[in-house]
Amino acid sequence: MKNNIRIERAIINITQADLAEQIGVSRQTINTIESNKYVPSTVLALKIARIFNKPLEDIFILEDGD
Amino acid sequence: MKPQFLFAYWFRYLGWALVIVHIPIAMIGRMNGMINPLDNFPGNAGLFTGEHLFFMGTTLLMSLGLFFVAFASEKIEDEQIWHIRLDCLRGAIFINYLVLIISLVFVNDTAHILELNLWAPLIFFIIRFRWVIFRLNRSLTREK
Repeated sequence: MKNNIRIERAIINITQADLAEQIGVSRQTINTIESNKYVPSTVLALKIARIFNKPLEDIFILEDGD
Repeated sequence: MKPQFLFAYWFRYLGWALVIVHIPIAMIGRMNGMINPLDNFPGNAGLFTGEHLFFMGTTLLMSLGLFFVAFASEKIEDEQIWHIRLDCLRGAIFINYLVLIISLVFVNDTAHILELNLWAPLIFFIIRFRWVIFRLNRSLTREK
């Protein structure tokens, strides 16, 4: 699963640290999610989507192998 | 998912303090003739003798210290840390049983196998967990 978090962050101009603080996780977690090294739980994914005010499917995209 | 049954962050420092305090106490005790009862195994050293109390005290210091270090929460204990924690715990138990099985087959010293198994899971867990957290921090890009 890939994601557009980096792009969405750039659109609303917030840093990884800002996003991490708003959803209550560490900056490392945001970094590993952006790098596709860690797949977040449904709850965390929904929290991220809510920050960007977009549907979940616009932020997280399933790949063929998933 | 909220992690449960973890100690506060500062328990990590308390844990390391107990482990460090245990070392000179154990060394001084041994130099003064307090022999680990397991060294005399299967001899019957008796319960609540000086040796037994010394062994119990130092073992408790070390065990509690490692326990606190292993199960103190991180500053930000989020779901990724929780996943890493579970994965490292699984790895530690796996390695511990591997060592246990190998030592049961090749070592004829059941008393010290027992002592090894007292420390091994926690030590393997702490080493792996700290290493993964260290790598995670190191891989953090310098993005602002």
